[in-house]
Amino acid sequence: MTALAADNLQVDCGKSTLLHALSLNFDATESVAIIGPNGAGKSTLLKALAGTIAPTGGQVRLGRRNLAELPSEERAQSIGFLPQHFEPHWDLSVAELLEIGAARARSLSADALEKSMAAFELGGLERRRWSTLSGGERARVLLAMVLVVDPPVLLADEPTASLDIRHRLDLLRALADRGRKRLSVVVVHDLDLAFSFFDRVVLLARGELIADEPAARLLDDPRLDDAFGVRFERLRTGEGWHLRGCR
Amino acid sequence: MKVWLGLGAMLLLAMIVAACAGHEWASPADLLRAIEGDQALRSRLLFDWRLPRVIAAAFVGALLGLGGTIYQGVFRNPLAEPYLLGSAGGAALGATVALLVPLALPQSWLLPLLAFAGAWGATMLVIGISRVAGAVDAAGLLLAGVAVAAILGALRSFLMLALSDETVSLQVVLSWVLGGVQTPTWAGIAVLVLITLACVALSLALARKLDVLGLGETMAVAFGLDVHRFVMLAVLAGSVIVAAAVAFGGLVAFVGLASPHVARWLVGPLHRPLLPASALVGAIVVVLADAIARAALPPAEIPLGLVTAVAGGPFFVLLLARRLRT
Repeated sequence: MTALAADNLQVDCGKSTLLHALSLNFDATESVAIIGPNGAGKSTLLKALAGTIAPTGGQVRLGRRNLAELPSEERAQSIGFLPQHFEPHWDLSVAELLEIGAARARSLSADALEKSMAAFELGGLERRRWSTLSGGERARVLLAMVLVVDPPVLLADEPTASLDIRHRLDLLRALADRGRKRLSVVVVHDLDLAFSFFDRVVLLARGELIADEPAARLLDDPRLDDAFGVRFERLRTGEGWHLRGCR
Repeated sequence: MKVWLGLGAMLLLAMIVAACAGHEWASPADLLRAIEGDQALRSRLLFDWRLPRVIAAAFVGALLGLGGTIYQGVFRNPLAEPYLLGSAGGAALGATVALLVPLALPQSWLLPLLAFAGAWGATMLVIGISRVAGAVDAAGLLLAGVAVAAILGALRSFLMLALSDETVSLQVVLSWVLGGVQTPTWAGIAVLVLITLACVALSLALARKLDVLGLGETMAVAFGLDVHRFVMLAVLAGSVIVAAAVAFGGLVAFVGLASPHVARWLVGPLHRPLLPASALVGAIVVVLADAIARAALPPAEIPLGLVTAVAGGPFFVLLLARRLRT
């Protein structure tokens, strides 16, 4: 069943076109990695899917409905959006941030906040302020805020800065694991992790859809090398794949 | 809970001290006698003049605290303050017209009315300009606000120079522009209470969305907030509140800037507790500053705006420095 779809989605910014009439379908349960070189339009696609920017042409459908016509409260409940950079303007505590996240749900079970705190290992951090949290803790708090209302769709832009390798692995694994029960679409900057963790990989370049395949199939596809302008050496490792680019 | 009781107690104490202070000091016993309905001249003076003024000062301060919190929340900038968007400049211009131009209405009506109209008009002008310029965001509004405030200030100075003569002295206008709580009648107090309660309700209605806006524009949109519309709405609400404060208290500098900071240190940045806490802090500050204004240089009265700036400035810097060091 299609949970989220882009139909001929076009996004322009001034005179340049960021996305060229792109069409994609996402199932209600799958984990999808979006990859591509810089300027491919990955973040633009994600924002348009989340409804935080308006497309200049085409539409995004959530279930059967046009996202642009959906009341914004309903959109906020159905789609969780994890931005690449997040820095609250006020130095809120973890509990306060979760409260703000939870407030967008029309109704929420009484223990939703506690469950979310437990799921993201935030026990004991309730009263800590944002400025005192480590990068890994911040990532978990952000994820908890976005997922506290348990939206059927999660759209995440992988945070590249301020996370060390262990926390990046943890975060990406959590995002990919969510695809077992819900839809999880993640912009992934690290190709190894995209191919190791996700079911399906969407490859973009210059605002166009280059390939959309199961991860195992796209891995050997020469279009991958073309899109990134390198020749990849594909190395099998214990955990998954390692792609080494050579000129 | 402790914080709220503490703030309440401090406000009460400040009001008692302020009611005692004046160019003739009264004792708390004198106050009690006056409240009980003693008909001696001294008691009548306390009851009809000093008590209403102290109460009015508290409400003016509360309004400034609310307005400041909304502005800082909307612009997500701890340096934002109610007077930034030209609303104070507009109010001052309106008041200057009321004081200097002979019009048919009695001045006691005209002054708050024109001050209010000026604050409202200036804010609409700022919003209009930023809309025409295609920059309807916080930065665009701020820039337009600074420009409009400068123009309005120049207009006011011109009016003051051109229209003052022997019959209306510049001093009257100046003392208003520099801030000073008008002494209302008890009926006037009732109006002020109603206005303040309405403003508290209005700002609490904005509280949750101000929190969401504080997450940054991207997250706010993702959390379902129509950012542009809400910013407009909140700016208008903030100006209404500032206009009410200005109509009753003139231009009182600094309280709208400092109160939210102090309140944030006490109750944290979530707006639902922050707004009432900031109102209480503002009330305490203005009550005390007004007492100093009345009592420091008898028989003269120092303009309230000068007291708040001179006393509040260093106090604020001190607090900020201590805060930064820890």
